Amino acid sequence: MAGHESHPTAPPKPRATPEEMRERKRLSRQRVSDDSEFITVSMGPQHPSTHGVYQAVVDLDGEIVVNTRPNIGNLHRGVEKLAEVKSYHRFLPLTDRLDYISSFAMNHAYAEAVEKLMDIEVPRRARYIRTIGDELCRLSNHLLWLGVHVMDFGAQTFFLICFRDREYVMDLWEMLCGARLTHSYARIGGVAADLPDGWVEKCRAAMEFMPRRLAEYQRLVEKNRIFLKRTVGIGIFTREDCVAWRVTGPSLRATGMERDLRKTEPYAAYDEVDFDVAVEYDADVYSRYLVRMKEMYESCRIILQCLDQLPEGDYINQDAPSQTFPRKKQVMRDSAAMVQDFMQTFRGPKVPKGEVYKAIEVPKGEMGVYIVSDGSSIPQRLHLVTPTFYHCQATPALFEGEMISDVVGIFGSVDIVLGDSDR
Amino acid sequence: MTSPQDPRHPHINGEMVREASEREVRMLAEGNVDRPEEHVPGVAIPAQLEKLLGFGRSFSWWPLLFGLACCAIEMMATAGPRYDMSRFGMEAMRASPRQADGMIVAGWCSIKMAPRVVRLYEQIPDPKWVLAMGSCAISGNVWDTYNVVQGIDSLIPVDVYVPGCPPRPEALWQGLEMLRDKVKQSDHAYDRVRVIPARAAIGE
Amino acid sequence: MDSTVEQISDALKSVFGKLEEKFGARLLGSSVFRGELTFLVAPEDLVEVATYCKAPEGLGFDRLEFLTGNHYPERIEQPFEVAVQLTSMATNDRLRLKVPLKEGQKMPTLSSLWPAANWCERETWEMYGIEFEGHPNLIRLLTDADFEGHPLRKDFPVRGLVGGRIRTDLKGKI
Repeated sequence: MAGHESHPTAPPKPRATPEEMRERKRLSRQRVSDDSEFITVSMGPQHPSTHGVYQAVVDLDGEIVVNTRPNIGNLHRGVEKLAEVKSYHRFLPLTDRLDYISSFAMNHAYAEAVEKLMDIEVPRRARYIRTIGDELCRLSNHLLWLGVHVMDFGAQTFFLICFRDREYVMDLWEMLCGARLTHSYARIGGVAADLPDGWVEKCRAAMEFMPRRLAEYQRLVEKNRIFLKRTVGIGIFTREDCVAWRVTGPSLRATGMERDLRKTEPYAAYDEVDFDVAVEYDADVYSRYLVRMKEMYESCRIILQCLDQLPEGDYINQDAPSQTFPRKKQVMRDSAAMVQDFMQTFRGPKVPKGEVYKAIEVPKGEMGVYIVSDGSSIPQRLHLVTPTFYHCQATPALFEGEMISDVVGIFGSVDIVLGDSDR
Repeated sequence: MTSPQDPRHPHINGEMVREASEREVRMLAEGNVDRPEEHVPGVAIPAQLEKLLGFGRSFSWWPLLFGLACCAIEMMATAGPRYDMSRFGMEAMRASPRQADGMIVAGWCSIKMAPRVVRLYEQIPDPKWVLAMGSCAISGNVWDTYNVVQGIDSLIPVDVYVPGCPPRPEALWQGLEMLRDKVKQSDHAYDRVRVIPARAAIGE
Repeated sequence: MDSTVEQISDALKSVFGKLEEKFGARLLGSSVFRGELTFLVAPEDLVEVATYCKAPEGLGFDRLEFLTGNHYPERIEQPFEVAVQLTSMATNDRLRLKVPLKEGQKMPTLSSLWPAANWCERETWEMYGIEFEGHPNLIRLLTDADFEGHPLRKDFPVRGLVGGRIRTDLKGKI
């Protein structure tokens, strides 16, 4: 914190280099004396700024955080146990409720893993629809994140502004699959339904309109001195820390590492569209904000490209009747399709024996699914490697040496949703 | 004025306070509950004044800022500009239970969270209303597992149930409308049963 | 195994060759499925193998992707298994190490190599009852402190041991 010496109307200081920031952080840690008594503060699980039911018990030396004991599991519900009693198709809606802010991305991660296990192709049109869905999720997730994050610094109005524009994305989802939040739109081998009439035009209009709104946000936020003072140089988390704690997604890219699974191991249609990986180099809260801002612009760009290039064809794989659902329209007309639908619903798909791990880039980071199959239609073991679990785990390292008043902002900046971490 | 012994017309210090509900009458007759006058001195308000208070409360019912899971996101959307809960005076979510008039339980409640939910509920001053939002809060939804409480009404008395997974903002809105009617009549679930199910479950 | 090794990428082939060369007969086996390489490692060798995998002069798998357990009740001898997935940030190759374990057998901790393993091991202990030797803080993570049983074992009922609607005993907690 800059302290009291600067007048509120004075121009902000030039941004510190990462070396200066690390030095500052090291100095702030030195202030902690061994013999002093710590104040212990418990934040959460019912706390307005913990973004869910996360609890952090923080030891303070004055205002400096010395030690953090995070406590998660307040939303644990045994998803992995339920996976062992449900068939592959039936488990899909449960993945919605992992990261409920970007449900479709979770569906997608799970479907990709099962497809890798079954070794089935996804039709090109379905891959494009999935790409669009993923990016819509990224938009709605980042908009929600931005509103809440800026609200953590005291700007209540900004939250309302972000929600105003998030509703446009919600409208698109509603038109696409009927649900606003829990989409369950992906299916193994494709998606649940084709794009409805008029959706492409509506989506294009929204995506052409969204960058203008994003620019408006940037004007509001990036010229706000309070926001800058509370984010620039705060919460440094270096590349080595990120790798050691498996912190992924925007927090990793804010350290200058160009790692985005959409580029490094392209899935869906990401190898057919042109986009840049958002990278920042300062590794602080402000860099994470900038990365997410850039990602939103890129999302709009990707969606527009996908809409332009959208190929014709099936929206779900029809070559593997023992593993995928038929097209819904056929079920009522064709007896073979009806039997297929019945068998898939009640018996589940045919799955080879083996185990796979597949990760995709969801808005919060790298979401992986590890499936061990024993050859039956129910997974022997399904492990969900969720980004937030590791982000929560890294909080002691993130908070150490920071001010207690910055904890809220730093915690918000790594983007956390507890349904994701607790499973 | 009827005699104080008549359970239909509870009296405190010889003054009629309000009509007892059917359930209350039954429970009083069976001797299941303490008499209201022994329990909460707060109801010693004349019925007409309580109506006036209820009318006032219904326009500024402040929920506790407390979200558990997915439904909390829809609750935020309801507070957002399109659905705009503030039209009904319900947008001022209080972060402290001591300033709140009730809570919206939005999401599944794990057994680790259950004691905290009960504590939050008990910290809210009387009168208080509870809205169970979403299938998980109502019945546990698909989470029929070892770590989820199967319905929040096994812990705390619930006034309004809003089904959906998650309910749309319009659904929550309707639930809040129903709650508002109850607030107007000063009719809350706890007042009817005078038992917190979580306390009853451990024999307190 | 040699026929399936052809399916994996050249980078993983060299990893396969290096590991076979360095540890040879001490590795219990290997398998390849869908282009993913898995090695079976005995628990006493795990730390040595993992250190070699992590070291930049070794294989360079510098990130722990996940660590989790598994329970096979039909395997009488070694019913438990711990899977460790590693990723190389430079090449994006992935390698999986699996450790078969007897009932009650302890496993060395990896949290000194990767801090991220800390919670993974706590979760694995909580869910399967697999103990990690040398772990700094092996307590329950996701379930309540007084929760009994290890939920992801196959003999644990989905609805838990307590039953009822609350599924826990609130006595002393509220």
